[in-house]
Amino acid sequence: MDFDFSEAEQKFAVEVEQWLVDNHDPEVMDLTRENFSQLADTPARRAFMKRLAKQGWLGMSWPKQYGGQEIKGVYEFILNEALARHGAPQIGKGVGIIGKTLIRHGSEKLKKEFLPQILSAEVEFAVGYSEPQAGSDSANMQLKAERVEGGWKLNGQKMWTTSAHFADWYWVGARTDPEKKKHDGLSLFLIPMNHPNLEIQSLPTIGKDTTNQVFFEDVFVPEDYMVGKQGSGFRYIAEALDLERFTMFTLSPIEDRSNLLVEWVKSATRDDEPLRNDVNVRRTIAHIVTDTHVAKGLSKRFLSAAMSGGDKPPSIESSEYKLFTTTLSQRVCKDALDITGAAGQIREGEEDAPLAGRFEGAYRATLNETVGGGSSEIQKNIIARRKLGLPKNF
Amino acid sequence: MDLALTEEQQMIVDMTHGILEEHCTIEAVRQVEDDPRGYPEALWKQFAESGLTGMLIPEAQGGGGQSLTEAALVYEKFGEFLAPVPHFVSSVISARLLIQAGSDDQQTEWLGKIASGDAILTPAWLEPDRGFGEVGIQLKAKADGEDYLLSGVKRHVYFASASDRLIVLARSGDGVDLFLVDPNAEGITLSQQLSQAGDAQYRVDLDNVRVSAKDRLGSAGTGWATFNAVLHEGIILLAAQAIGGAQKVLDITVEYSKERVQFDKPLGAFQALAHYMADSTTHIDGGRVLVYEAAWNAAMGRSISRFAPMAKLFACETYREVTRVCAQIWGGVAFTIEYDCQLYFRRAKQLQLSWWDTPYLENLVASDVLDKD
Ligand SMILES: Cc1cc2nc3c(=O)[nH]c(=O)nc-3n(C[C@H](O)[C@H](O)[C@H](O)COP(=O)(O)OP(=O)(O)OC[C@H]3O[C@@H](n4cnc5c(N)ncnc54)[C@H](O)[C@@H]3O)c2cc1C
Repeated sequence: MDFDFSEAEQKFAVEVEQWLVDNHDPEVMDLTRENFSQLADTPARRAFMKRLAKQGWLGMSWPKQYGGQEIKGVYEFILNEALARHGAPQIGKGVGIIGKTLIRHGSEKLKKEFLPQILSAEVEFAVGYSEPQAGSDSANMQLKAERVEGGWKLNGQKMWTTSAHFADWYWVGARTDPEKKKHDGLSLFLIPMNHPNLEIQSLPTIGKDTTNQVFFEDVFVPEDYMVGKQGSGFRYIAEALDLERFTMFTLSPIEDRSNLLVEWVKSATRDDEPLRNDVNVRRTIAHIVTDTHVAKGLSKRFLSAAMSGGDKPPSIESSEYKLFTTTLSQRVCKDALDITGAAGQIREGEEDAPLAGRFEGAYRATLNETVGGGSSEIQKNIIARRKLGLPKNF
Repeated sequence: MDLALTEEQQMIVDMTHGILEEHCTIEAVRQVEDDPRGYPEALWKQFAESGLTGMLIPEAQGGGGQSLTEAALVYEKFGEFLAPVPHFVSSVISARLLIQAGSDDQQTEWLGKIASGDAILTPAWLEPDRGFGEVGIQLKAKADGEDYLLSGVKRHVYFASASDRLIVLARSGDGVDLFLVDPNAEGITLSQQLSQAGDAQYRVDLDNVRVSAKDRLGSAGTGWATFNAVLHEGIILLAAQAIGGAQKVLDITVEYSKERVQFDKPLGAFQALAHYMADSTTHIDGGRVLVYEAAWNAAMGRSISRFAPMAKLFACETYREVTRVCAQIWGGVAFTIEYDCQLYFRRAKQLQLSWWDTPYLENLVASDVLDKD
């Protein structure tokens, strides 16, 4: 049993931390965007990703033949958590979901076209699974892909395509085989995001960021921009989600928020009494700190399982981590507002907001964490079936 | 980072499991509920022969010299099997108090016997209407020449009637002191008090009980510091015990939920219940890894001032909540004596209330976080 990162891993963590401090840039790093800070959505943030690429930190776990270093995934974990701790853009989507799926299932052509661009941070993707009728039930995608001369013609609508307004390429699931069972009729496509027949409509959120709806009207996709085999799309999506769920919800911002709250409580007063002497505040802090350690433990559990290198991705460990951590993330914000009291309601950005309104903003911004990437209920379904072996009935 | 058990750790787990499976059946557990001695002798003998009784005692003093990590794994098994044994009071708390503060003579006299299971020692700590902290110790130790006279009342003294010595926490002119006291000494009255979990705990009345200064552990006034440090180690093991109990009661509940049919479906097919179980297993896994990390930190010689209370706080809350949820899933039968669910239900709450309860632990964590600048 060993809970420490190895010496080499610790050295890497120190190196990354130093590099992030040296490269600090408020235009690039914004913790207050919470989970959305992972997006490389501005020129400055894209330039930052290029610098990360120059460091050799993109695709570290990829096979050497695709430009990777074949080192353990834990290095990507360390990097991603460090990026998240600084509010910098993260590596999950391109390197993780799309890169790894292409490596496992993509054609030589697609690998040649996209993998080098991912490694050099020249391409940003948007992920289009969700639709009006396909949320948690993501296999229920209805976006229609019809066979046409030389490729496919896509018609229909996507919901919640978060990066559509700035991405270069669109990673899209569509129904190619309507006569087959719903899980077996889906295929994955890559489409240039600036395709003239795509219409992108912004969907503002109560956080700082926007997501989008995307409408498809006779969008032609050439044959060779289908990813992998026709009809295997859902399998690829599920596999990537199992592997990457973890990178989508990082722990370090929660730790950071807990620490922020603790430091504030240490010095704040109410009615001239130090807040830290308040029994209710002390209780709350004790539970936040304890649960944050538990979340960290669950992430170590996932990492340890992943590194021990079984043939299956540790999907149960990642579901437990996601379930616990996103619930905690919201609770920390709620508790923090309770502790700051009436002043907690003052909008982020207003002068009098306690802690610069970090928790007022985070309270809103974290709302979606227990829904996106597989809701808490879906995680519980996964745990109930795959781990506890309960009947498949919901 | 590698959270897998070493081969040696796995062997200890397997050995403990084997002993408990044979000698700590549910019937054996039920039989000693409310029993004045409180543990099956055959089981204790097995513990002694296997070395479990001495696992935290250095090899030089007749023990196995194992670390808190191994002990935590063993305690998880104790929780799983509801092992009614004086191991915690004797082989952990008393042994560690002796190791920390005992004189050479005291160590020579007692550690070997604790390790071999031939002697049982138990702390006499809590007092009526008093709390878990240092100020809770008000039992008087009045200096009388070379001796002390102890007067006052202790409660929750586990296995007192089976013990060879009590380690009494008392307040002398110097502060809190620990005294080795023969429970058969003049002026001592033991009265068993039935408890929620049905263990063998006693109220101990001391009326001018004479002890020699030679029977004090450590120098005058250092008793609380010693006890506090030892209990920090100890509660990690109780947290492990809570996790073991929670895991077991969940396991039997999951199985039951696959068999029991209502509305033409097994109970586990009802999402409301399945989600209780998914939440439970997630909290148990989270608690387990916290407990292991706490134990591992202790074994590595790192500070456990935060980890230890966090571990017991979270593990005991989890155990209690899991037993509540499991009882709900069993339905009416959970309320009967016949079904085993209630055994865990009662023990979970008692464990949470004992050896530092939730408010005390919360405050320990909060102090570590907020009061150190
Ligand atoms: C800000 C934001 C960004 C997003 N970004 C993307 C993106 O980039 N790409 C993308 O493809 N998607 C994205 N999503 C979509 C996200 O993945 C979905 O919102 C999510 O999968 C849930 O789907 P839904 O919103 O339709 O809710 P629904 O599926 O309608 O769920 C509503 C409620 O029902 C519950 N529920 C559903 N099914 C079950 C069940 N079987 N058992 C128990 N309870 C159930 C859910 O847990 C939830 O509580 C984003 C969403 C948001 C809000």
